[in-house]
Amino acid sequence: MQEQDISKLRNIGISAHIDSGKTTLTERILYYTGRIHAIHEVRGKDEVGATMDSMELERERGITIASAATHCVWGDNHINIIDTPGHVDFTIEVERALRVLDGAVLILCGVAGVQSQSMTVDRQMKRYRVPRIAFINKLDRSGADPVKVSTQLREKLGHNAVMMQLPIGLEAEHEGIVDLVTMKAIYFEGESGDDPVEREIPADMQDAAATARETMLDAVSMFSDELMEAILEEKVTEDMIHEAIRAGTLSMDLTPVFLGSAYKNKGVQPLLDAVTRYLPAPTDVKNMAVDLDNDEAELEVVSEPDKPMVSLAFKLEDTRYGQLTYLRVYQGTIGKGDTIFNSRTKKKVKVGRLIRMHADEMEDIERSTVGDIVALFGVDCASGDTFTDGKMEVAMTSMHVPEAVISLSITPKDQKAADNMGKALGRFVREDPTFRSAVDPESNETVISGMGELHLEVYVERMKREYNCEVETGQPQVAYRETVTRKVDFNYTHKKQSGGSGQYGRVAGFVEPIEESDEGSKDFQFISEIRGGSIPTEYIPAVEKGFRECLPKGRLIGFPVQGLKITINDGQSHSVDSSEMAFSAAARGAFRKFYPEAKPQILEPIMKLEVEGPSEFQGSILKTIMQRRGQVIGSTEEDGFSRVESEVPLSEMFGYATDLRSMTQGKAEFSMEFSKYLPAPAEVQKELKEKYKSKIPDEEE
Amino acid sequence: MYRKFVNARSPMRLLENGLHGGLGIGNVGALIAGHGVGKTPFLVGVGIDELLRGGTVLHVAVDQTVGHVRDFYDTVFAALVASTHLDDPLLTQSELDHHRRIRVYPAREFSAQRLAEAVELETQTGARPSLILIDGLEAASLDVKTLEEIRALSGQLAAETWFTIQADSERIEGLPSDWAGLAETLNVILALEPAGDVVHFRALKDHDNPDVQSLRLGLDPHTLLLIRS
Repeated sequence: MQEQDISKLRNIGISAHIDSGKTTLTERILYYTGRIHAIHEVRGKDEVGATMDSMELERERGITIASAATHCVWGDNHINIIDTPGHVDFTIEVERALRVLDGAVLILCGVAGVQSQSMTVDRQMKRYRVPRIAFINKLDRSGADPVKVSTQLREKLGHNAVMMQLPIGLEAEHEGIVDLVTMKAIYFEGESGDDPVEREIPADMQDAAATARETMLDAVSMFSDELMEAILEEKVTEDMIHEAIRAGTLSMDLTPVFLGSAYKNKGVQPLLDAVTRYLPAPTDVKNMAVDLDNDEAELEVVSEPDKPMVSLAFKLEDTRYGQLTYLRVYQGTIGKGDTIFNSRTKKKVKVGRLIRMHADEMEDIERSTVGDIVALFGVDCASGDTFTDGKMEVAMTSMHVPEAVISLSITPKDQKAADNMGKALGRFVREDPTFRSAVDPESNETVISGMGELHLEVYVERMKREYNCEVETGQPQVAYRETVTRKVDFNYTHKKQSGGSGQYGRVAGFVEPIEESDEGSKDFQFISEIRGGSIPTEYIPAVEKGFRECLPKGRLIGFPVQGLKITINDGQSHSVDSSEMAFSAAARGAFRKFYPEAKPQILEPIMKLEVEGPSEFQGSILKTIMQRRGQVIGSTEEDGFSRVESEVPLSEMFGYATDLRSMTQGKAEFSMEFSKYLPAPAEVQKELKEKYKSKIPDEEE
Repeated sequence: MYRKFVNARSPMRLLENGLHGGLGIGNVGALIAGHGVGKTPFLVGVGIDELLRGGTVLHVAVDQTVGHVRDFYDTVFAALVASTHLDDPLLTQSELDHHRRIRVYPAREFSAQRLAEAVELETQTGARPSLILIDGLEAASLDVKTLEEIRALSGQLAAETWFTIQADSERIEGLPSDWAGLAETLNVILALEPAGDVVHFRALKDHDNPDVQSLRLGLDPHTLLLIRS
């Protein structure tokens, strides 16, 4: 598949609750599409293993169904199955994984139905506008009830779920399905259900099938006038039905529901037909990039192979041969030997190997075109980087990387962990630009920083899971800032002229807060209004340097100082004793003097918090926000769910996941991102200052 | 300028004078205007005025997003700061935001019952509204009974309630036909019509007063602020 018809390409995710049979279904798909040649059973037979178990099992078997993307072929269609994250924490990684999907199969357990995690995953898909089809699995299990599950899809998830099939027998009697489009019964014969065989609908199901088809046609005809007319004239064709289902699915107004039991090899091939018939091709989806030449204005990238190439590195994987970078090509064509450009680093990269990942093997390919998912070997980049052929200055994700708002010290538990820690941190930093790692020069501890408590917890857990690196963590530390609130004049002389070569420099001017309306940097501005050489020109950069040296550590609580505009308008030098060093020292002295007079205050990071859960828990959700000095902005209520938007100080958010879980029986989820810095309330400022003073009893120089 | 002076000089006082004391506690008023003429800016203007007076506002928006409504408040507040030189705007805005709650529903889910539940929740979390604003309702979702229930709720809260009605055209002759049955139940009905560079308010109904006065109130389409006209 190199220059294949893009309309026959599907990039899909399989999303599921952990017990719904995602591993089994994925494996059956790979088997029926010829990518693997034997079916292995999931350990424990009942399939109620944790996700981790099944991932380990996959590794044991040497197949890579947990890899970022697996390619298979069904008929003349090509399908990339993209790993959909099982966790729903708000991280850039989740956003990226959902972004490269064009459609998804939502698997539901035929017994347990819609569970809380299905709701969470589904709502996330909805947020990213990913069209879905549903597969009700495990119909061979005791208590299976697909009609109930389909109703739950409507009632709990708000889907316009329409059954496309009826089961022939349930539980131990589950034999096959009735296709309501073709009005045929399908049985899955052969050792592993390899041969789907069409027969007449069993006599005792004829009436039920006719009624179900009528219901299905009623629902589906809403998406096609042609079908509606054909129904009235009794001239319905299968193609008309397929077209209407596809239209409804693409607009996300319809969720066609398919049935089966992956474990018993039933229903998988019709599901694959449905994936190729109803889920979108890359050309059906509108993809937006940001224009780096135009202040990151939104720009559409089009699925055309002849346009300049634009692709997104959405996932990195460490392999024994080096870093494997998964790319989705959004526009144009990429080929082996091409020189491509990284929009973030502006560096050129040569495409040495271009690879397509299959279940258990890699295939070297020459070219890949729009919509496709491929991998590159040995390219140094970070996850989320955009590659172009240099003809367009665009990025698929914003280049703006927010400042980290929380940090955590970590100490490896043993030597083995210490050895692996560097490797793990190196990878995570490449994968996620909002995650940082550094060594604190004072304590010599490794400090990781990121966008929230959960964000860092995910990485600590991944270190343990993926790198066998257990670490002890310190108390999370909020990244406060300091700023000044009023204008103050200063006039400071640095003078050391007691024998030997002396030091002399005087700086005078004023400091003031940077206003919202001020142009330029919002962190620090330095303006020189020196006239007549009262400070010689060559020493002015040293003055600025002296002030800048004071910024990383404010004198209130030792956090960086921002929002400061310093203007110098006078000074004095000495023909012999003045030097760059003397003027830097004068600036530092001036800072020490004016800072307390400029009414400094502490700024705390405020997070935008969105909590979503069933409406009956809205009161509890609001309480969790109010208890945390949060400010509720508003709530959206739809389909029995409420989403509460608020702003909450980060310092109040520790342990929020646990509290929210207990207040809402685990049915609410939240996402959090940095919003802005605001002055901390007086009592919080007082407490922070006292804490800082107790750590550093003597005033530093 | 201190916020109380800004409030005292607000063109909203003209509206109150023109309406013989304003909408009044426990009453329901409606604003009719064509598409894009300024219904939401009017509600936001009324909301900010109430917030500046220390009141608490519940802004209900149908088929919109919380972010969209909030942007309206931020834009109108920024224009107000620029035109009045309000003191300490950041602090004032933060205080105002604390007393404003936005609730968004799809049209099919809004009802008097849902509103009552929302008010109950807001009250429990310290935001009992003194003003309710409802934007974007369609006639189909409102009947006399629903309106009576909303009015009863306003009465219980000692609040005022304003909502908007979309007119078919920019020129307003009266209530659109699908809203006509509700005129009796509304205490005040205002029309908002463009005239040259400004958008003018006109009272169609002022409680039970037969002499509907000129309001001398307009909306600046550039700043979205209420102005004297």
